[in-house]
Amino acid sequence: MSAAAGNATGSTAAGSTAAGAAAGSIAGNAALQAKYRSKLNLDSVLIAIMLALLYGAQLFLVYSVLTATKPVLAEFPGLTPIYLLFICLMFAIETIGCLKVRHSIKQHMHEFAYYD
Amino acid sequence: MAESISEASHSGGLVKTLMPYHVWALGVGIVLVGEYMGWNFTIAKGGVLGSLFAMLVAGTMYTVISLCASELGSATKLAGGPYDWARLFVGPGAAAIVGLAVYMEFIALEAADAIVVAFIATEIFPELQVFPVTLFVIALLTFINYRGVVGALTLNFALTMLAFFAIIAFFFTSTFGLGGLEVHPEYLFEGAMPNGLIGLFAALQFGPWFFLGIEGAAMCAEECKHPTRAVPLGQQAGMITLLVGAAMTLYLCSSLIPTQALGVSVYPLFEAAQNGGLFIFIALLGVGTLLTCVASANGCICDASRSWYALSRDEYVSPWFSKVHPKYSTPYRAVIFTAPIAVAFAFSGFLDQVITFSIISGLLCYVLIPFSLIRFRKLFPESTSKIRPFASPLQPYIAYFAIGIAILIMSTLFWGYRYNLIFGLLFYAIAYFYFSSKRKDTSGNDPLWSELGWPEPEHTGSRNLKEVTGIECSSR
Repeated sequence: MSAAAGNATGSTAAGSTAAGAAAGSIAGNAALQAKYRSKLNLDSVLIAIMLALLYGAQLFLVYSVLTATKPVLAEFPGLTPIYLLFICLMFAIETIGCLKVRHSIKQHMHEFAYYD
Repeated sequence: MAESISEASHSGGLVKTLMPYHVWALGVGIVLVGEYMGWNFTIAKGGVLGSLFAMLVAGTMYTVISLCASELGSATKLAGGPYDWARLFVGPGAAAIVGLAVYMEFIALEAADAIVVAFIATEIFPELQVFPVTLFVIALLTFINYRGVVGALTLNFALTMLAFFAIIAFFFTSTFGLGGLEVHPEYLFEGAMPNGLIGLFAALQFGPWFFLGIEGAAMCAEECKHPTRAVPLGQQAGMITLLVGAAMTLYLCSSLIPTQALGVSVYPLFEAAQNGGLFIFIALLGVGTLLTCVASANGCICDASRSWYALSRDEYVSPWFSKVHPKYSTPYRAVIFTAPIAVAFAFSGFLDQVITFSIISGLLCYVLIPFSLIRFRKLFPESTSKIRPFASPLQPYIAYFAIGIAILIMSTLFWGYRYNLIFGLLFYAIAYFYFSSKRKDTSGNDPLWSELGWPEPEHTGSRNLKEVTGIECSSR
């Protein structure tokens, strides 16, 4: 009887240890997930700030130069669209590229343990 | 530094400790000097509109090159950068010329930077002389690179950050008219397009000054802790930094310096600050000019030595250079070897020829980097964690587009630099045929894809593959 009770107590203790370990592992996983989410968000914010700076600086420059040189550009009507074409190309390629960078980080961050 | 090395995961090879900000520092550190000086020759050729055109066209090309470098760098994770990409995906002749071109591009740039640092130092302290100061700068930076890549690139990060901050602060102060600083938008109109449409195209030859060398950021992939994150993030952050810096610099200088003076200015940003009249910016931009030269020379030593190390590792040049330092984990013989070559370039007496050779070498790389990516995509079409953790968008169309722009810019060098162009291309053509024939009979020419953790390419027969990538990897 006492042996059975001891066994029961032992298995309860082992069960509670296992449950504790599982709970600890879940808590650890949750903390890791939260850490990865927050680090990924930091990378995303960095990318967003960089893109905002890029749009702001380039659009300001192109607008300032094209408006100041309007009379000259009027003599060459094909030029303005070329400037606009290249700025659009640059923005499009860089934006898609940056989004792909973020996507790649998100996809591989756990596999390659980026933030451990 | 010592802690960093002890924590690093390396086994007799290069130390793997670099973070994305080191990649940024390497790329931007090398290039930012081009925004402090040199880019303004676009103004001399094509006026403000020519300069804007050159900046946008070159900027678009470099955006694509950066994406190609990000994909190739994070996939191969090798120190040779463009050389290794050409070696793996194109062939031995192309690999040799890209390796040499990268080496020449960065060594020539290092020599030019060291001379400019010496000139600035002699202007501040007239009792100094150019020759010993140039030697001192080259020796000091070589020693820093010998001691460790983390220290060298952390130094680059600090120098580059300060120089970039100077541009940003100057731009916002000028644009919002703070501190009584006045811009002159009429300068933009007065010097819009002095040489007509020909000038517009001629300006393209100096467009690369804004971004020349940014592809070198991916060359530290082998030394990154997580290259699949650090290379794409650092490379794209670097490219955007340069695009932002270029836009701000062009606007500031064009609206603070009359066009004729701007076209021949040696230190345009510093001169713009002088015209602005605020002491704080005169000091900041003056220091920034000096710091960017130091950072550029420092980054160039890092990249040139890695290229030479990779060439040596595959026995294109003597394998003696491929030894890694047992304590600092740097390719120290390749690092030290940069010094005498840089000194030889620096005292050749032809600074402009040296820089033009650097640009031609760079443009050759801009043809072969996208071409390597096209070949890579053909050999390994699938994107997996092992092969292609970062897949750049819109490929291969933008790669073809970048090749077209690189050839267009190279062709504009005929205006004024035709002999340099012919000599440069002849030099690389001879190198191509020499190394192709030298490596033709080398045994074990097929790349060992398994060493990169890759499967054999599925869609290419082994015979065809051997012809395209006839190289030796067995020495690794």
